[in-house]
Amino acid sequence: MGLVGLATEKILSSFSVFLFLTILLLAVARRISTSVLLFGLQSAIIAAEVLATAFQEKLPEVYIVGALVFVIKVVAIPRAFFLLTKRLKTVRDVKASTTPTQSVFIVAAIIYLSYAAVHSYGRVVHVPDDPLAAAVSLILTGAFLMVSRKKALMQMLGLLVLENGIFLAALITTFGMPLVIEIGIFFDILMGLLLMGIFTFRISDTFEHLDVSKLRKLRG
Amino acid sequence: MLIGPTGALFVLLAVALGVAVPVILMASRAPGARRLAITLILAASFAGCVLAVFGFLGRAAPRLDLSWAAPFPFSFVVDRLSAFFLLLVCAVAIPVTIFAAPYFDLHYSERRRNWTWGFFSLFLLSMIVVVTAATGFSFLVGWELMTLVSAGLILIEGDSAERRHNVFIYLLMMHAGAAAVAACFFLFLPYSHGLDFEAVRASGAGMPGGIRAAIFLAAFVGFGAKAGLIPLHLWLPRAHPIAPSPVSALMSGIMLKTAVYGFVRFTFDFLGGGPWWSGYVVLIVAAVTGLLGILYAIAEDDLKRLLAYSSVENIGIIFLGLGASLIFLAHGVPLGAALALIAALFHTFNHAFFKSLLFLGAGAISNSAHSANLNELGGLQRRMPFTGAAVLIGCCSIAGLPLFSGFVSEWLTFRSLLAGSALINTKAQIILPLMVGILALIGGLAAACFVKTFGTAFLGRPRSTGAEHAEEAPLGMRTGLALLAAVCLAIGIFPGFLLRPLVALAQVLIPGAGVPEETLSIARILPWTAAIVLGTGALVAVFKRRERIARTWACGLPGLSSRMQYTSTVFSKPLRFVFAQVYRPDRKVEELPADQPYFPVSISYRSVRTTSYERVFYRPFVELILSLAYRLRRLQTGNIQVYLLYIFLALVSLLAFLRFER
Amino acid sequence: MRIALDILQVLLLILGAPLVRAIIARLKARLQRRRGASIWRPYAELFKLLRKEELVPPTSSAVFRLAPMVLFGATIGAAAFVPVVHASALLGSRGDFFLFVYLLALGRFFLSVGALDGGCAFGGMGASREALVSSLAEAPFLLGLVAIAIVASRVDIAGMVAWTLGQNIFNISAVHILAFTSLAMVILAETGRMPVDNPTTHLELTMIHEGMVLEYSGPSLALIEWASAIKLHIMVALLIALFFPWGMASNGSGWGIAVALLLYCTKTAVLVILLSVIESSVAKLRMYLVPDFLGVASALSALAVIFTMWVKR
Repeated sequence: MGLVGLATEKILSSFSVFLFLTILLLAVARRISTSVLLFGLQSAIIAAEVLATAFQEKLPEVYIVGALVFVIKVVAIPRAFFLLTKRLKTVRDVKASTTPTQSVFIVAAIIYLSYAAVHSYGRVVHVPDDPLAAAVSLILTGAFLMVSRKKALMQMLGLLVLENGIFLAALITTFGMPLVIEIGIFFDILMGLLLMGIFTFRISDTFEHLDVSKLRKLRG
Repeated sequence: MLIGPTGALFVLLAVALGVAVPVILMASRAPGARRLAITLILAASFAGCVLAVFGFLGRAAPRLDLSWAAPFPFSFVVDRLSAFFLLLVCAVAIPVTIFAAPYFDLHYSERRRNWTWGFFSLFLLSMIVVVTAATGFSFLVGWELMTLVSAGLILIEGDSAERRHNVFIYLLMMHAGAAAVAACFFLFLPYSHGLDFEAVRASGAGMPGGIRAAIFLAAFVGFGAKAGLIPLHLWLPRAHPIAPSPVSALMSGIMLKTAVYGFVRFTFDFLGGGPWWSGYVVLIVAAVTGLLGILYAIAEDDLKRLLAYSSVENIGIIFLGLGASLIFLAHGVPLGAALALIAALFHTFNHAFFKSLLFLGAGAISNSAHSANLNELGGLQRRMPFTGAAVLIGCCSIAGLPLFSGFVSEWLTFRSLLAGSALINTKAQIILPLMVGILALIGGLAAACFVKTFGTAFLGRPRSTGAEHAEEAPLGMRTGLALLAAVCLAIGIFPGFLLRPLVALAQVLIPGAGVPEETLSIARILPWTAAIVLGTGALVAVFKRRERIARTWACGLPGLSSRMQYTSTVFSKPLRFVFAQVYRPDRKVEELPADQPYFPVSISYRSVRTTSYERVFYRPFVELILSLAYRLRRLQTGNIQVYLLYIFLALVSLLAFLRFER
Repeated sequence: MRIALDILQVLLLILGAPLVRAIIARLKARLQRRRGASIWRPYAELFKLLRKEELVPPTSSAVFRLAPMVLFGATIGAAAFVPVVHASALLGSRGDFFLFVYLLALGRFFLSVGALDGGCAFGGMGASREALVSSLAEAPFLLGLVAIAIVASRVDIAGMVAWTLGQNIFNISAVHILAFTSLAMVILAETGRMPVDNPTTHLELTMIHEGMVLEYSGPSLALIEWASAIKLHIMVALLIALFFPWGMASNGSGWGIAVALLLYCTKTAVLVILLSVIESSVAKLRMYLVPDFLGVASALSALAVIFTMWVKR
């Protein structure tokens, strides 16, 4: 099997811990740039996991998926975020509505909850507990980020983390989806991000700030 | 009515404390009479200790039956559990009495002194009655007597309107607790014939689950109110600070422990462990009590109120051990239950000693420096070195530092919580280890609190003229302090002496428990650790050179004044800021005159800390009761025909009930 | 034979402590493009201080004079718990990690109390801030060690090390990763390094540990500085022993011990480099952000304890 085989086995069995670390750090991150870096790190871990799955299951098209994940989520999207931040000239702070201590305890509770939820399901579907719990935690943390951070850019990031989680869950339960569906999902995300980028520009132009808690016109 | 030698000791105790001392004090005003009374109290306490040892080691428990003298069964027994608590009461009573002799002389006038000593001995007698009671009647008599006599002792000290208000709250909550305790006993009645402890114990096994749950809850509420569990602790910081210091020492040191005795007696001895959820309830209430208690203690500047809140915290730690023990019992692990019970009882013992030590120290301080406010003390270590050393030992014990007694009991509690990780596949598997974190937080905050206490009271410069002219305490006070400090140190380095009897006691209360090996390992490792720490400390004393007094650089000012030091309020500010959600003071800043904001004539700042549970829990509760009472008032119309109607309706409903019951 | 080796370990921890501190200072200086002082300077400084006369504030009492000795004694007591070259320590097999943590707390208590004895504002300031940091750091410290103890089913530190030695080095344990992160954060707080406290500061606004030792001089100051260096060394050795102990001598052979010592120096070097890089790259936290820092450590260690449930299932 060799070194590569050993490495893939280790990656597959333990990558969830590192995902947990990234979401715990996302809970306490105070700058947008830090959050984006953590998202990039998260996507890199998921890309590594995809490639490891490809190696182990011997499915060549999953390599392409892995490469796509890497190119889009680790390189392109963080680049786009940094560009956006520079163009919008927005303040670097994340504007969280919970203190770091509260956020990290909430994320810890989310992790516990995902394990508790996944516990009974995992035995039925013959899927190891840890990666599935990591996926559910990513989904819940993405939702938590969207709820508790008031900057519009952080809403986008929260959505991206959530999508990471869904992608991971799909990957684990199906051991790689058909390539066409993967490409379709990626294009969906790209379109969504493009739209959100355009809207963020317009919000910033019109209101001179990006604080979503002040946008209250969605009332009857 | 045959009584053996131990029974005779019993009678002696009762007569000395209950009859002889008050009579002597009433009869004569001579100082010799008072000295005789104090000697009698000491002799009786010593006799109590001997009796406790007999009760523990002897084959048969000493008994005393006084049912011929009372309308209900009125007897006493000293079995293992009672012996432990009897030893606690009497062993703490001796140093406190020795301390109180010169203290009361300096503090009170002639007449009040006699009354105080009379009540003092009655107070001791009531606590002995409670822990040695063998029937429900004797227990309740002792229980009520404790409350009444301590209220009397508080009122002898002074009866201003504020003190009477505090005593009223104290009496109110104690009676509510006593009602719950009485309910506890009466719930046994359908199943046991009479309230003799033997009968109650025998009936405990065969009772339905609902009654057991009710008894457990009533015991928890009743004894919890007496012990000071949150949210029933309102009376503690009101009553303990206003009593004279030796009485506060007895109240905090021993009276709270009788509540622990009652709880252990009911849940472990009579019920054999509560329902499956009982341990979790106790654990959670205890954790909240411990945390909130120490947080409120840190914010206090009045030394005695600080110590009162710290008692709340320590009761929380004791009940943490008891809760863990109940959880282990419910899951059928007697060894873990024994360890947790030993931890709780050890902490009970420790707390009695170091809290009495600290309260007596507070008494010595207020006697010499004429103030018990930490912001007015300072520099006392140079003026009262002996008292300072004793209080330092007390502070180190209560902070749970190794080589002092407090560490051993906290260690045992930690180990018993950690042992919970062996209960695989239960909720307790993670809840108990997570409680280690809460206990660690409580311990860390306690250490910080007592650094503040000792540092601002004894070290640095004096902050008032009273502290500047303080003198060392008289010999009697110093003896009392020394005795308590010696016990704290001895148990801290050689805990085996207390651990062996406690293991035997736990084996009686929890059938099937072996000897937890943690008790053996700590007894083995602590002397070695003490040897290394003290040895190294002594070794490096070799490096000490000559020293020279040099004035501290005052940044160019002519000298440092006592106002440039940290006060107690400032010391606790960072912690109060971090835990601001708990405190929520009402702050008001007033600048006069109001229309000239930039040129004020006077600025006043007022901060009132109403503890949040008072606002959130007590006031709405009291208002609810009052509004219910007002509504019920409408039944009292004053019209005699309406009253006749009520009687008529009662008769009719009784007849209907009888008819439908058939 | 074992006892001799255990005593040697304690001596190594004591005597190597100033060297560790000096190496960290030198690395930080190099990172800041300075040359840095010689790595043997702390020894020269201790030697100098031990021979000097001691100046004592006029308000101080016996507690001021007693505090450095108790601090030193307690730190040595804690040093007797940590295995360095083999999976055993002087008190390490009988005593457990609770006693270890609380011995360090004993030293800290007396240091704070001694600081308040100086009668000036700096001591109070240092003691008050130290009270804040230490009271919040106890919980994550103990919880992290509890998590490892539950996984190893042992309570003594030597036993935990022996268990880790028996594990495969390539297994990644979630509990250990979380516990390591949390313990590393706590150790930064407990030993007074950046970002919690600046060990080289002399500005009163930023002092925590330095504020408490301001009044001490001569042999007392030597003892206090040495004790804090020993504490840092103990913590580094503890991290290595609990998380990367492979290479420790399993029998008492001279060759094994030499190899273990070499490996220990290498691992210490790695940790020291990491510490210097972290210290040079982050700014000191504002004091009221330290509770958030420690809160994150608490959450991580609590999570480590929760994860043990799934390991032990």
